[in-house]
Amino acid sequence: MKQKIVNNMDILLEELHKITGRKAKWEEFLVSFMESYDSDAYEKKMRDSLANLVEEFKLSDIARGLDRIGEKIEGFPAGEVLRQVLQVADHALEEKNMVIKELKEVLAELATPTIRIWKDVVVAPLIGTLDSERAQSMAERLLEFVADTRAKVVIVDVTGVPLIDTIVGGFLIEMFNAVKLLGCEVVITGIKPSIAHTLVKLGVDFNMVTVKRDLESGLRYAISITEKEGKGAV
Amino acid sequence: MRDIKMEDYDMLVKINDERDIVVARQMVKDFAKRMGFSLADITKISTAVSELARNIFRYAGSGFIYIRENTGEEKEIEIAAVDKGPGIENVEAAVEAGFTTSKGSLGLGLSGVRRLMDSFFIESEVNRGTVVIVTKRRRTF
Repeated sequence: MKQKIVNNMDILLEELHKITGRKAKWEEFLVSFMESYDSDAYEKKMRDSLANLVEEFKLSDIARGLDRIGEKIEGFPAGEVLRQVLQVADHALEEKNMVIKELKEVLAELATPTIRIWKDVVVAPLIGTLDSERAQSMAERLLEFVADTRAKVVIVDVTGVPLIDTIVGGFLIEMFNAVKLLGCEVVITGIKPSIAHTLVKLGVDFNMVTVKRDLESGLRYAISITEKEGKGAV
Repeated sequence: MRDIKMEDYDMLVKINDERDIVVARQMVKDFAKRMGFSLADITKISTAVSELARNIFRYAGSGFIYIRENTGEEKEIEIAAVDKGPGIENVEAAVEAGFTTSKGSLGLGLSGVRRLMDSFFIESEVNRGTVVIVTKRRRTF
Protein backbone atom coordinates (compact mmCIF):
# COMPACT_ATOMS: atom_id res chain seq x y z
CA MET A 1 0.00 0.00 0.00
CA LYS A 2 2.86 2.35 0.85
CA GLN A 3 4.33 1.81 -2.61
CA LYS A 4 0.97 2.55 -4.11
CA ILE A 5 0.71 5.85 -2.27
CA VAL A 6 4.22 6.83 -3.37
CA ASN A 7 3.40 5.98 -7.00
CA ASN A 8 0.12 7.87 -6.96
CA MET A 9 1.28 10.75 -4.78
CA ASP A 10 1.14 13.41 -7.49
CA ILE A 11 -2.29 12.40 -8.77
CA LEU A 12 -3.61 12.15 -5.22
CA LEU A 13 -2.32 15.55 -4.24
CA GLU A 14 -3.83 17.04 -7.40
CA GLU A 15 -7.23 15.62 -6.45
CA LEU A 16 -6.91 16.77 -2.85
CA HIS A 17 -5.89 20.18 -4.06
CA LYS A 18 -9.18 20.40 -5.95
CA ILE A 19 -11.15 19.74 -2.78
CA THR A 20 -9.40 21.95 -0.29
CA GLY A 21 -7.32 24.31 -2.40
CA ARG A 22 -4.13 23.35 -0.59
CA LYS A 23 -1.86 20.34 -0.77
CA ALA A 24 1.12 20.91 1.50
CA LYS A 25 -0.77 19.72 4.60
CA TRP A 26 -2.10 16.68 2.75
CA GLU A 27 1.40 15.79 1.63
CA GLU A 28 2.62 15.98 5.22
CA PHE A 29 -0.27 13.79 6.28
CA LEU A 30 0.36 11.14 3.61
CA VAL A 31 4.08 11.04 4.33
CA SER A 32 3.59 10.64 8.07
CA PHE A 33 0.90 8.02 7.38
CA MET A 34 3.31 5.98 5.31
CA GLU A 35 6.14 6.43 7.78
CA SER A 36 4.17 5.36 10.80
CA TYR A 37 1.73 2.82 9.35
CA ASP A 38 2.17 -0.56 11.05
CA SER A 39 4.51 0.95 13.61
CA ASP A 40 3.94 1.46 17.33
CA ALA A 41 3.94 5.22 17.02
CA TYR A 42 1.11 5.12 14.48
CA GLU A 43 -1.69 6.44 16.73
CA LYS A 44 0.35 9.28 18.11
CA LYS A 45 1.88 10.30 14.79
CA MET A 46 -1.49 10.29 13.13
CA ARG A 47 -2.98 12.39 15.88
CA ASP A 48 -0.38 15.09 15.33
CA SER A 49 -0.69 15.24 11.57
CA LEU A 50 -4.50 15.03 11.70
CA ALA A 51 -4.56 17.91 14.17
CA ASN A 52 -2.78 19.90 11.47
CA LEU A 53 -5.44 18.99 8.92
CA VAL A 54 -8.31 19.79 11.29
CA GLU A 55 -6.82 23.16 12.05
CA GLU A 56 -6.54 23.99 8.37
CA PHE A 57 -9.60 22.48 6.64
CA LYS A 58 -13.30 22.00 7.15
CA LEU A 59 -14.25 18.57 8.52
CA SER A 60 -16.50 17.86 5.54
CA ASP A 61 -13.58 18.55 3.17
CA ILE A 62 -11.29 16.27 5.13
CA ALA A 63 -13.91 13.50 4.92
CA ARG A 64 -14.19 13.95 1.17
CA GLY A 65 -10.41 13.96 0.83
CA LEU A 66 -10.07 10.73 2.81
CA ASP A 67 -12.80 9.13 0.70
CA ARG A 68 -10.91 10.10 -2.43
CA ILE A 69 -7.69 8.57 -1.09
CA GLY A 70 -9.64 5.44 -0.19
CA GLU A 71 -10.95 5.17 -3.76
CA LYS A 72 -7.51 5.50 -5.29
CA ILE A 73 -5.50 3.44 -2.84
CA GLU A 74 -6.71 -0.07 -2.17
CA GLY A 75 -6.57 -1.00 1.51
CA PHE A 76 -6.38 2.58 2.77
CA PRO A 77 -8.29 2.60 6.07
CA ALA A 78 -10.39 5.69 5.30
CA GLY A 79 -13.04 4.87 7.90
CA GLU A 80 -10.45 4.25 10.58
CA VAL A 81 -8.66 7.52 9.84
CA LEU A 82 -11.95 9.40 9.75
CA ARG A 83 -12.74 8.10 13.21
CA GLN A 84 -9.41 9.49 14.38
CA VAL A 85 -10.17 12.79 12.68
CA LEU A 86 -13.38 13.06 14.67
CA GLN A 87 -11.53 12.30 17.89
CA VAL A 88 -8.99 14.98 17.13
CA ALA A 89 -11.69 17.49 16.17
CA ASP A 90 -13.61 16.69 19.34
CA HIS A 91 -10.53 17.39 21.36
CA ALA A 92 -9.84 20.65 19.54
CA LEU A 93 -13.44 21.79 20.06
CA GLU A 94 -13.24 21.00 23.75
CA GLU A 95 -10.11 23.07 24.07
CA LYS A 96 -11.74 25.98 22.28
CA ASN A 97 -14.78 25.82 24.55
CA MET A 98 -12.48 25.87 27.55
CA VAL A 99 -10.77 28.99 26.24
CA ILE A 100 -14.14 30.70 25.67
CA LYS A 101 -15.25 29.80 29.17
CA GLU A 102 -12.05 31.13 30.68
CA LEU A 103 -12.33 34.35 28.69
CA LYS A 104 -15.89 34.81 29.89
CA GLU A 105 -14.75 34.47 33.48
CA VAL A 106 -11.95 36.94 32.91
CA LEU A 107 -14.42 39.34 31.32
CA ALA A 108 -16.86 39.05 34.20
CA GLU A 109 -14.10 39.92 36.64
CA LEU A 110 -12.75 42.75 34.55
CA ALA A 111 -16.15 44.27 33.99
CA THR A 112 -17.23 44.37 37.62
CA PRO A 113 -14.56 45.78 39.87
CA THR A 114 -15.40 46.40 43.50
CA ILE A 115 -13.44 49.17 45.19
CA ARG A 116 -13.13 50.12 48.82
CA ILE A 117 -13.08 53.86 48.32
CA TRP A 118 -13.44 55.11 51.89
CA LYS A 119 -13.57 53.64 55.36
CA ASP A 120 -16.70 51.45 55.38
CA VAL A 121 -17.68 52.55 51.87
CA VAL A 122 -17.51 50.30 48.79
CA VAL A 123 -18.09 51.34 45.19
CA ALA A 124 -19.30 48.89 42.52
CA PRO A 125 -19.45 50.51 39.10
CA LEU A 126 -21.49 48.48 36.61
CA ILE A 127 -20.36 48.61 33.01
CA GLY A 128 -21.91 47.30 29.80
CA THR A 129 -24.68 44.86 29.10
CA LEU A 130 -25.67 42.53 31.89
CA ASP A 131 -26.77 39.03 30.98
CA SER A 132 -28.05 36.61 33.59
CA GLU A 133 -24.72 34.82 33.97
CA ARG A 134 -22.71 37.97 34.48
CA ALA A 135 -25.33 39.41 36.79
CA GLN A 136 -25.17 36.28 38.92
CA SER A 137 -21.39 36.25 39.29
CA MET A 138 -21.35 39.97 39.97
CA ALA A 139 -23.91 39.73 42.76
CA GLU A 140 -21.99 36.89 44.37
CA ARG A 141 -18.72 38.76 44.28
CA LEU A 142 -20.21 41.96 45.62
CA LEU A 143 -21.87 40.16 48.53
CA GLU A 144 -18.60 38.41 49.42
CA PHE A 145 -16.70 41.66 49.22
CA VAL A 146 -19.20 43.45 51.46
CA ALA A 147 -19.06 40.66 54.00
CA ASP A 148 -15.25 40.55 53.95
CA THR A 149 -14.69 44.29 54.27
CA ARG A 150 -17.57 44.79 56.74
CA ALA A 151 -18.58 47.79 54.66
CA LYS A 152 -21.49 49.88 55.88
CA VAL A 153 -22.44 51.46 52.56
CA VAL A 154 -22.28 50.15 48.99
CA ILE A 155 -22.54 52.63 46.15
CA VAL A 156 -23.72 50.95 42.94
CA ASP A 157 -22.99 53.21 40.00
CA VAL A 158 -24.89 52.48 36.79
CA THR A 159 -23.41 55.26 34.62
CA GLY A 160 -21.91 52.62 32.34
CA VAL A 161 -25.11 50.63 31.84
CA PRO A 162 -26.74 51.53 28.50
CA LEU A 163 -30.17 50.11 29.26
CA ILE A 164 -32.11 48.78 32.23
CA ASP A 165 -35.01 46.48 31.34
CA THR A 166 -37.11 44.49 33.77
CA ILE A 167 -34.53 41.69 33.88
CA VAL A 168 -31.63 43.93 34.81
CA GLY A 169 -33.94 45.93 37.10
CA GLY A 170 -35.14 42.77 38.79
CA PHE A 171 -31.58 41.58 39.22
CA LEU A 172 -30.53 44.90 40.78
CA ILE A 173 -33.47 44.82 43.21
CA GLU A 174 -32.55 41.29 44.26
CA MET A 175 -28.93 42.25 44.74
CA PHE A 176 -29.85 45.37 46.75
CA ASN A 177 -32.10 43.37 49.05
CA ALA A 178 -29.36 40.80 49.61
CA VAL A 179 -26.80 43.49 50.43
CA LYS A 180 -29.22 45.07 52.90
CA LEU A 181 -29.60 41.71 54.61
CA LEU A 182 -25.87 41.93 55.38
CA GLY A 183 -26.59 45.11 57.32
CA CYS A 184 -25.22 47.37 54.63
CA GLU A 185 -26.83 50.45 53.11
CA VAL A 186 -27.15 50.70 49.33
CA VAL A 187 -26.87 53.89 47.32
CA ILE A 188 -27.54 53.81 43.58
CA THR A 189 -26.05 56.54 41.42
CA GLY A 190 -25.72 57.52 37.78
CA ILE A 191 -29.18 56.79 36.38
CA LYS A 192 -29.41 58.58 33.04
CA PRO A 193 -32.50 60.72 32.22
CA SER A 194 -33.62 58.42 29.40
CA ILE A 195 -33.28 55.38 31.66
CA ALA A 196 -35.16 57.16 34.46
CA HIS A 197 -38.12 57.71 32.16
CA THR A 198 -38.03 54.12 30.95
CA LEU A 199 -37.88 52.74 34.50
CA VAL A 200 -40.95 54.74 35.49
CA LYS A 201 -42.85 53.46 32.45
CA LEU A 202 -41.79 49.90 33.20
CA GLY A 203 -42.82 50.24 36.83
CA VAL A 204 -39.40 49.21 38.15
CA ASP A 205 -39.06 50.83 41.55
CA PHE A 206 -35.81 51.21 43.52
CA ASN A 207 -37.59 52.42 46.66
CA MET A 208 -35.61 50.09 48.92
CA VAL A 209 -32.43 52.07 48.39
CA THR A 210 -31.19 55.63 48.39
CA VAL A 211 -30.83 57.22 44.99
CA LYS A 212 -28.23 59.92 44.37
CA ARG A 213 -27.57 61.84 41.20
CA ASP A 214 -23.95 60.91 40.60
CA LEU A 215 -21.00 59.18 42.20
CA GLU A 216 -19.84 62.40 43.81
CA SER A 217 -23.06 63.06 45.71
CA GLY A 218 -23.39 59.34 46.44
CA LEU A 219 -19.94 59.32 48.03
CA ARG A 220 -20.63 62.52 49.98
CA TYR A 221 -23.82 60.99 51.35
CA ALA A 222 -22.14 57.66 52.18
CA ILE A 223 -19.32 59.35 54.06
CA SER A 224 -21.72 61.58 55.97
CA ILE A 225 -23.78 58.65 57.27
CA THR A 226 -20.77 56.49 58.18
CA GLU A 227 -19.12 59.36 60.06
CA LYS A 228 -22.31 60.10 61.95
CA GLU A 229 -22.53 56.45 62.99
CA GLY A 230 -18.90 56.49 64.08
CA LYS A 231 -19.44 59.55 66.32
CA GLY A 232 -22.61 58.11 67.79
CA ALA A 233 -20.76 55.00 68.89
CA VAL A 234 -18.17 56.93 70.91
CA MET B 1 -53.43 34.40 13.99
CA ARG B 2 -52.09 37.37 12.14
CA ASP B 3 -49.73 36.46 9.35
CA ILE B 4 -46.43 38.33 9.48
CA LYS B 5 -44.58 38.36 6.18
CA MET B 6 -40.88 38.98 6.00
CA GLU B 7 -41.12 41.03 2.82
CA ASP B 8 -43.34 43.61 4.54
CA TYR B 9 -40.58 44.50 6.98
CA ASP B 10 -37.23 46.26 6.71
CA MET B 11 -35.32 44.20 9.20
CA LEU B 12 -35.44 40.79 10.82
CA VAL B 13 -33.63 39.42 13.85
CA LYS B 14 -33.78 35.77 14.78
CA ILE B 15 -33.91 35.09 18.51
CA ASN B 16 -32.22 31.84 19.40
CA ASP B 17 -30.24 32.45 22.55
CA GLU B 18 -29.57 35.07 25.15
CA ARG B 19 -26.99 36.89 23.07
CA ASP B 20 -29.54 37.47 20.31
CA ILE B 21 -31.48 39.68 22.72
CA VAL B 22 -28.55 42.07 22.80
CA VAL B 23 -28.25 41.89 19.00
CA ALA B 24 -31.96 42.69 18.53
CA ARG B 25 -31.70 45.59 20.93
CA GLN B 26 -28.64 46.99 19.19
CA MET B 27 -30.20 46.73 15.73
CA VAL B 28 -33.45 48.39 16.74
CA LYS B 29 -31.48 51.10 18.48
CA ASP B 30 -29.56 51.89 15.28
CA PHE B 31 -32.78 51.73 13.27
CA ALA B 32 -34.57 54.17 15.58
CA LYS B 33 -31.56 56.45 15.61
CA ARG B 34 -31.57 56.60 11.81
CA MET B 35 -35.28 57.40 11.88
CA GLY B 36 -34.51 60.40 14.05
CA PHE B 37 -36.07 59.43 17.37
CA SER B 38 -35.04 61.34 20.49
CA LEU B 39 -32.61 59.67 22.88
CA ALA B 40 -35.34 59.09 25.46
CA ASP B 41 -37.55 57.40 22.86
CA ILE B 42 -34.66 55.32 21.52
CA THR B 43 -34.07 54.02 25.03
CA LYS B 44 -37.77 53.21 25.44
CA ILE B 45 -37.97 51.43 22.09
CA SER B 46 -34.86 49.36 22.68
CA THR B 47 -36.02 48.49 26.19
CA ALA B 48 -39.36 47.34 24.76
CA VAL B 49 -37.54 45.17 22.20
CA SER B 50 -35.36 43.80 24.96
CA GLU B 51 -38.48 42.71 26.87
CA LEU B 52 -40.14 41.20 23.80
CA ALA B 53 -37.00 39.34 22.76
CA ARG B 54 -36.55 38.12 26.33
CA ASN B 55 -40.08 36.75 26.35
CA ILE B 56 -39.47 34.92 23.08
CA PHE B 57 -36.25 33.40 24.37
CA ARG B 58 -37.66 32.50 27.77
CA TYR B 59 -41.05 31.08 26.85
CA ALA B 60 -40.87 30.00 23.22
CA GLY B 61 -37.15 29.24 22.89
CA SER B 62 -36.90 30.86 19.49
CA GLY B 63 -38.71 33.34 17.29
CA PHE B 64 -38.31 36.52 15.29
CA ILE B 65 -38.30 40.28 15.78
CA TYR B 66 -39.43 42.24 12.71
CA ILE B 67 -38.80 45.95 12.36
CA ARG B 68 -40.12 48.49 9.87
CA GLU B 69 -40.67 52.17 9.35
CA ASN B 70 -44.24 53.27 8.69
CA THR B 71 -44.53 56.49 6.78
CA GLY B 72 -47.83 58.27 6.99
CA GLU B 73 -48.76 61.60 8.40
CA GLU B 74 -46.30 60.89 11.17
CA LYS B 75 -43.31 58.61 10.91
CA GLU B 76 -43.53 55.62 13.21
CA ILE B 77 -41.51 52.54 14.00
CA GLU B 78 -43.30 49.22 14.05
CA ILE B 79 -41.94 46.15 15.77
CA ALA B 80 -43.44 42.68 15.58
CA ALA B 81 -42.34 39.88 17.90
CA VAL B 82 -43.42 36.51 16.58
CA ASP B 83 -42.95 33.03 17.98
CA LYS B 84 -44.44 29.59 17.59
CA GLY B 85 -44.16 28.82 21.29
CA PRO B 86 -46.67 27.58 23.86
CA GLY B 87 -48.86 30.68 23.59
CA ILE B 88 -50.50 32.59 26.42
CA GLU B 89 -53.61 31.20 28.07
CA ASN B 90 -54.98 34.39 29.52
CA VAL B 91 -53.76 37.27 27.40
CA GLU B 92 -55.62 39.88 29.41
CA ALA B 93 -53.92 38.84 32.64
CA ALA B 94 -50.51 38.60 30.97
CA VAL B 95 -50.47 42.28 30.06
CA GLU B 96 -51.36 43.33 33.61
CA ALA B 97 -48.48 44.56 35.76
CA GLY B 98 -47.29 41.95 38.23
CA PHE B 99 -48.31 38.92 36.18
CA THR B 100 -45.62 36.31 35.76
CA THR B 101 -45.35 32.56 35.35
CA SER B 102 -41.64 32.37 36.12
CA LYS B 103 -39.93 32.65 39.46
CA GLY B 104 -37.70 35.62 40.12
CA SER B 105 -39.28 37.75 37.44
CA LEU B 106 -40.88 41.09 38.15
CA GLY B 107 -43.82 40.42 35.84
CA LEU B 108 -43.56 43.90 34.42
CA GLY B 109 -42.44 42.94 30.91
CA LEU B 110 -45.55 43.06 28.75
CA SER B 111 -47.33 45.73 30.76
CA GLY B 112 -44.13 47.76 30.64
CA VAL B 113 -43.87 47.37 26.88
CA ARG B 114 -47.45 48.60 26.53
CA ARG B 115 -46.65 51.72 28.53
CA LEU B 116 -43.35 52.35 26.74
CA MET B 117 -44.91 52.30 23.27
CA ASP B 118 -47.81 54.17 21.65
CA SER B 119 -49.79 51.23 20.36
CA PHE B 120 -49.84 47.65 21.52
CA PHE B 121 -51.42 44.64 19.85
CA ILE B 122 -51.22 41.07 21.09
CA GLU B 123 -52.63 37.86 19.74
CA SER B 124 -51.92 34.45 21.16
CA GLU B 125 -53.17 30.93 20.76
CA VAL B 126 -52.26 28.14 23.14
CA ASN B 127 -49.78 25.74 21.51
CA ARG B 128 -49.63 27.85 18.35
CA GLY B 129 -47.67 30.88 19.36
CA THR B 130 -47.80 34.57 20.06
CA VAL B 131 -47.66 37.74 17.98
CA VAL B 132 -47.00 41.10 19.60
CA ILE B 133 -47.02 44.24 17.43
CA VAL B 134 -46.06 47.60 18.87
CA THR B 135 -45.51 51.01 17.32
CA LYS B 136 -44.10 54.31 18.42
CA ARG B 137 -44.60 57.65 16.64
CA ARG B 138 -41.74 60.01 16.10
CA ARG B 139 -42.62 63.23 17.76
CA THR B 140 -41.46 66.38 16.04
CA PHE B 141 -41.05 69.42 18.15
